[in-house]
Amino acid sequence: MEDKSTNVDPIVIEHLTKDYGEGRGIFDFNFTIKKGEMMGFVGTNGSGKTTTIRSIMGFIKPTSGHAYVNGKEAYEHASENTKHIGYVPGEIGFPDLKTGTNFLKSQAEFLGLKDMSYANELIKKLQLDPRANLKRMSKGMKQKTALVSSLINNPDILLFDEPTTGLDPLMRLAFMDIIKEEHKKGKTILMSSHMFNEMEDTCDRVALINNGHIIDIVDMKDIRNRPVKDFKIEFNKKEDYEKFKKLDYKIIRDQVEYNQVTVELKKEDTSKLFNDLKNYDVKFFSEVKYTLEKYFKEILLKKENKNV
Amino acid sequence: MNIIEVEHLTKDYGSGRGVFDVSFNVQKGEVFGFLGPNGAGKSTTIRHLMGFSKPDSGDTKIFGKDTFLKYNEILGKVGYIPGEIALPQGLTGWEFIRMIQDLTHIHNEEQLNKMLKLFELDDITLKGETKRMSLGVKRKLAVVTAFMSDPDVLILDEPTSGLDPVMQEVFINFIKEEKEKGKTILLSSHIFSEVDATCDRIAIIKDGKIVSQFVANDLKHATTKFYKIDFAKDKDYKDFLTKYSNNKALKILNKDDKDSWVFISTEDKDINKVISILSPYEIKEFTNKKESLEDYFMKFYKEDKEFGGV
Repeated sequence: MEDKSTNVDPIVIEHLTKDYGEGRGIFDFNFTIKKGEMMGFVGTNGSGKTTTIRSIMGFIKPTSGHAYVNGKEAYEHASENTKHIGYVPGEIGFPDLKTGTNFLKSQAEFLGLKDMSYANELIKKLQLDPRANLKRMSKGMKQKTALVSSLINNPDILLFDEPTTGLDPLMRLAFMDIIKEEHKKGKTILMSSHMFNEMEDTCDRVALINNGHIIDIVDMKDIRNRPVKDFKIEFNKKEDYEKFKKLDYKIIRDQVEYNQVTVELKKEDTSKLFNDLKNYDVKFFSEVKYTLEKYFKEILLKKENKNV
Repeated sequence: MNIIEVEHLTKDYGSGRGVFDVSFNVQKGEVFGFLGPNGAGKSTTIRHLMGFSKPDSGDTKIFGKDTFLKYNEILGKVGYIPGEIALPQGLTGWEFIRMIQDLTHIHNEEQLNKMLKLFELDDITLKGETKRMSLGVKRKLAVVTAFMSDPDVLILDEPTSGLDPVMQEVFINFIKEEKEKGKTILLSSHIFSEVDATCDRIAIIKDGKIVSQFVANDLKHATTKFYKIDFAKDKDYKDFLTKYSNNKALKILNKDDKDSWVFISTEDKDINKVISILSPYEIKEFTNKKESLEDYFMKFYKEDKEFGGV
């Protein structure tokens, strides 16, 4: 009954629970990642992101519920599934080998891979020196080596646990470019990160995890195509500020001490705002971007208020 | 008064790696930002300041004392968060905290409890073995142990990497408070918003050498603003280009004929003129892009290296 490997979603999580006691762990997780979809995981430290990713890798036996990879139970088929999954762990521990080259070659051998051309392409893109001693590698070099190793055999599913933590901004961009390309190729991807902007740029959906529970899964389309916009306006003169406040705008933030207001308006009303502002002495004018971070903060706030 | 001094520090690891003639100082009550790409020499410099490594030439001092030779005299006054956390094996969180307290001979329970509360480490977590802790929790433990003796000097090597956004905010606020108390802080970081929020002066290191050093405020008060304007109608876009390609109030930096948008820069004083100019047009989107610390730094970060494959 269990083998449904044709036409199934690459990752299916059903009522997955891993209870470590004292309220730690993950509880009743449910989600599906469709083929070619990229899903993001955000959440506070210790909220259960890594536990979920490790469950999909089959490293952890669930207390109850299931994690399926290509229709196969993750824990029971862990070794079989490995060949279809590229994985970059949050904390990288390399085997006892001398250099990056040794490690990448051993990975290739394990996977029965002879063609190293894709690995070399990635090495070039990441400006990685694979001859360096594994033990002496800096954090950034270790991450690069781990990323190359995870993609070496072109697997269909990619699991990245905070792949960009500790990287400098340029390296972060190089990493994200590679991940975006894999996404374009139709890979199924799950990535955790603390950087909301990384998620915004890349993910199709993002799940918010808090204290072992999935609080919300948002479709990024809804964040990107929000029908309203927020603008922050600061006036040079107090009387302009007072006058503007009498107009029919929805003011969502008012900072009297700076003669500053933030208004929310429909996208198509932007021109109307410009026309109105023509008659005022404006000191500062800027759109306040609606971000994934803001969205999640609102959700957490609502939840807290409910609990009080 | 200079609390932290780095004078002509050189440590040559060969093949162009290491730090070369690095000099800077941090004054009492100052937050000094130390930025640079991975592998540029930030941690090497910091490790010399902690007395872990002997310079080839030059020296590093804290409170006027050589950090390599007088390591023991300085230890208790310096809080240090390493870039990579390696905790000793087989200890619980509590045992680790007690071990560090014994090493520094400082047992400040009031400060310890304050830190544990601030960074949300509870008793259940600390009773667990450190090797079972998640990366984020280990990071929090490192933060708490660095600050639990209430030291006068803080040396922080990418302290918030791996912390969640909530904790990053807590951390930034904490640094600001410490600064107000007169603490001297050296902060290495890749996260521009936190450097922006806390640092008085900034140095950038690249390939082992300091390439730029400046006062943070000079950058913060840039009066040039950048905006992207999406026109709803192509005819508006074309009209705008014909009329304002040569205008004193704004400069067109980039445009896209296909999607009808322009990217402009303008001075703060000209914003009223720009609003008047735009008011007759139907505008789909108006976004501003800050000239941030990040834009400034990215050019220092860029480099090209190639090492051949496997």
